Amino acid sequence: MRVSRQFIPYLFLAPALLLLIVFNLVPTIATLVESTFVLSLRSGERVFAGFANYNRIFNDPVFWKSFQVTIVFSLLVNPIQIFLALCLSILINQKLPGIGLFRSIYLLPIAVSLNVTAIVWGLMLDQNSGMINGILTQWGIARQPFLHSVDQALWSIIVIASWIGVPLWSLFILAGLQNIPPPVLEAAKIDGASAWQSFTKITLPLLRRVLAFVLVADTVANFLMFAPILLLTNGGPQLSTNLIMYETYRRGFLYGDLGASSAMLSVMLVIVFIIIGVELYLLRGQD
Amino acid sequence: MKKAKPWTAYIQPAIAYILLISGVIIVVVPLMWAAAASFTPNHKVFEYAYPFSWRALFPVDFTMEAYDNLFERGFGRAVGNSFFLAIATVIIGGAANALAGFAFGRFEFRGKQFLFLSVIMLTFMVPVDLTAIPRYILVNSFGWINTWQGLLVPGLANSLVIFLFRQFFAEIPQELIDAARVDGASWLRVLFSIILPISKPVLVAAGLLMFISQWNSFFWPLLIAPRQEMRVVQVEISLAIGQYGTVWNELLAGSMIAAIVPILLVMPFQRYYVQAITGTGLE
Repeated sequence: MRVSRQFIPYLFLAPALLLLIVFNLVPTIATLVESTFVLSLRSGERVFAGFANYNRIFNDPVFWKSFQVTIVFSLLVNPIQIFLALCLSILINQKLPGIGLFRSIYLLPIAVSLNVTAIVWGLMLDQNSGMINGILTQWGIARQPFLHSVDQALWSIIVIASWIGVPLWSLFILAGLQNIPPPVLEAAKIDGASAWQSFTKITLPLLRRVLAFVLVADTVANFLMFAPILLLTNGGPQLSTNLIMYETYRRGFLYGDLGASSAMLSVMLVIVFIIIGVELYLLRGQD
Repeated sequence: MKKAKPWTAYIQPAIAYILLISGVIIVVVPLMWAAAASFTPNHKVFEYAYPFSWRALFPVDFTMEAYDNLFERGFGRAVGNSFFLAIATVIIGGAANALAGFAFGRFEFRGKQFLFLSVIMLTFMVPVDLTAIPRYILVNSFGWINTWQGLLVPGLANSLVIFLFRQFFAEIPQELIDAARVDGASWLRVLFSIILPISKPVLVAAGLLMFISQWNSFFWPLLIAPRQEMRVVQVEISLAIGQYGTVWNELLAGSMIAAIVPILLVMPFQRYYVQAITGTGLE
């Protein structure tokens, strides 16, 4: 059988696009649809409920608390990770003997899953016999409760997320640094610019696109932070680490309330779209 | 005569090395401790961690006990499941994504721009975990809970990988393809006998990306395949934690197995892997 030539590209596209449409695009739309249904307790069937699910979550202090925790987490973790990633990328961009070895070592956390990171760091931060407390006591500092404290648990999650996040995002910034043509920086040096001046006046503006991308990608990734919460805190103590992704899982899969869970996910979806909209705005009209 | 560098010229590199080494300590110490503790009897796992001594970083009381027990209790099954899933994703998903990337990179056709923006870009931007619940309901309606199809099929197509392939294929010189087309080769033949042989970098990059993201994936397998014989490595280790009476050295042994596979894959192919992850961010 011979297929007409103009169908060939569509044949090539069909398998991947169908999969993406069925398993990614349809569920995206279905999240919004699902959020308007509730599971009837009497018949076990799904019943259209309009905005009932939204009403429920918007009047639920646990939802608002987890929303608030997520905002605080985002406002802390993203600037910290991006600042450290920028510093790290500048460090590993230095032309020093042995720098290749350092770059390889900094790749290690990126290959390791967030689960493994959470398990290992969870034990390192153990309040009774973890290594971090072992080191602190050696320095004469009292043992800290870390994941068991309302004040320290979220910070512990930030440390765990950053162990992967900082090296990961530094790779993007490093690629951006390496795209800057060396003559540009040499010319600035000849003109008598200090290292700080050439960094703020030349390097940073040229990194604008990369940094905007990293900011958005990092924000979205941290917005969905889940595994460390499930494995280490279950949202506690006193909901202090109850990030919104964990709350949707708890509602949907532990309590079986898929309606409320979908309503929360829809809210998150809208927020993700706003973040992406901001990215497209930031990147518009460049080159 | 060449003048010796003044001592001040060494300050900057010295600071750089100090910072680089501090970072390495933060990266390496947790992994060294976890690896050492996984080779330690369970009652001694925290012995040198608190109070801290350098012995915590080396398996001074070496034993394979944790690994032996782990595999006796069927952890090998989870390792096998993870390998099977990751390899199947690379082969089947790789083929589907390469074909789509080829179409976007080399063909002109009606609706190209629209399909690229509406399907590829949109699915690239919406994180998969965010839409897991309706995907779960969908897959449940197929009767795919606790099945290989349920684990495998939704993760086969990957817009990031399609992106990578598109970029690579778009840069292949047209003359190479024209010559073969003149000789009467079909498009499928052009793809397999001309393009794929020169595509080693993109194949390695895409393969690594698909293998590792499948190996490390957690949320979807946790939802879709909780039954014991279907569990993958990441789910198995996550269920071992927090259970009544966690066996620490076994938990760490499982974690080390989960970690070593992607590390061993990334190390020899660092350049490809870095390109694979950063490729899309710089467009």
